[in-house]
Amino acid sequence: MKKNRYLPLSLIAAAILAGCSTMPQNQSLSEAHSIYSSARTNPQVVNLAPVELQKAGETLNKADVALSKGESDAAVNQLAYLAKQQVAIAQEIAKRKTAELAVANASAQRDQVRLAARTAEAEAARRQAALAQQTAEQQAARDQALIAARQAEVEEARRQAAIAQKTADEQAAALAAASAQAQRDEALIAARQAEADAARQQAIIAQQTADQQAAALAAASAQAERDQALIAQQEMQLKELDAKKTDRGLVITLGDVLFSVNKAQLSSGGVRNVQKLAAFLNQYPQRKVLIEGHTDSTGSHSLNQTLSERRADAVRTALVDMGVSSDRIATRGYAEAYPVASNNTAAGRQLNRRVEIILSDDSGNIVPR
Amino acid sequence: MAVAAVALMAGCASTSAPTEQMAVSKAAVSNAMSAGGNQFAPLQFKSALEKMDAAEKAMAEKNYELALRLAEQAEVDAKLAAEMARSAKAQKAADALQDDIRVLRQEIDRQSK
Repeated sequence: MKKNRYLPLSLIAAAILAGCSTMPQNQSLSEAHSIYSSARTNPQVVNLAPVELQKAGETLNKADVALSKGESDAAVNQLAYLAKQQVAIAQEIAKRKTAELAVANASAQRDQVRLAARTAEAEAARRQAALAQQTAEQQAARDQALIAARQAEVEEARRQAAIAQKTADEQAAALAAASAQAQRDEALIAARQAEADAARQQAIIAQQTADQQAAALAAASAQAERDQALIAQQEMQLKELDAKKTDRGLVITLGDVLFSVNKAQLSSGGVRNVQKLAAFLNQYPQRKVLIEGHTDSTGSHSLNQTLSERRADAVRTALVDMGVSSDRIATRGYAEAYPVASNNTAAGRQLNRRVEIILSDDSGNIVPR
Repeated sequence: MAVAAVALMAGCASTSAPTEQMAVSKAAVSNAMSAGGNQFAPLQFKSALEKMDAAEKAMAEKNYELALRLAEQAEVDAKLAAEMARSAKAQKAADALQDDIRVLRQEIDRQSK
């Protein structure tokens, strides 16, 4: 560039020395001026290629100087061409720098767009995640609802089963109760039936009883008369039997004289008395007899005992012989244990030697000694 | 200044051989070549080459004044060709970037839909 500076100088000097033509007009230079002015109004060129533009301006000045000093056309044209080309260079540099700025801007822009893309991707991912989360939550909620529904169903089924069980139990109980009631009712009906039957029966019986009573009354009336007669007869018979009324009932005493002395044989008188008794007993079959043998205190007790038993047996044998059933007759031997009189006198001893026949009442009862 | 003095002495027509300008111009042409002037500014580049050839020829004929002028013109022509190539490349890169951005935007628009 150093050379560039002094070259025009040398040219100028040459021009001065040569003293060549001084033509104030040059078409090439005019064109260069026009292009230069146009570049000066382009802010891109002014701002981005100031050095080159200034260089072009300087060259243009030299051309002007060369022209005004009347230098050769060739010299002026040369400078004008150089200036023109320098303007073009300045313009190209401005264009390049503009494009470079655009590249730089575009890089930034692209980075921004990429960032936006990343942001959008992240947003989309977040949205998807949120969606997935939501879906999962919904699914979980659905599952939970489903489980709850199943549980409710199970619970309901259990409840219904319980109700059914309860109902079945209740029905069973009711059935049992009804059955029991039916049984009770049946029993009750049977009881009522029985009661009714019984009542009917009773009514019949009552009727019968009434009839019977009426008949009985009639009969009783007749019986009373007969009884009266019978009682009179019985009393007469008892009187004949010489029966005495005592605490133990009617007692017939067969005295010592009716037996052979110290023997168990009935005398003829004794037999007659026993016959009367047998007749009485045969007439009143409900009566029983207890035959007790007694002795006086003379002699040994064993002899007396034997005698008393044998005499009682003798009476018994006689009665049986006369048709009285043996099971109506009981015998006892008491020896000298129950005297009725003093044994110190002969008369007393005779009274003590006896057989007592105790007659039972009509039911066959005898008060034992 | 010595050269200028010589020039002053030699008068209008007589100038010394512009070897330095020739070297500067050759460097500018080679620079334009490597910048892609051949491809992006073929007219300017071709002009620079032709002027350079002519300058060489003038040098060989000892017509130094013509050689200087041609060399000077070849230098600016080569410089212009180099700058044009550079600005064209820059413009291309900017356009490509804009294209990228446009495609990217479309891509994003499609994705976000």
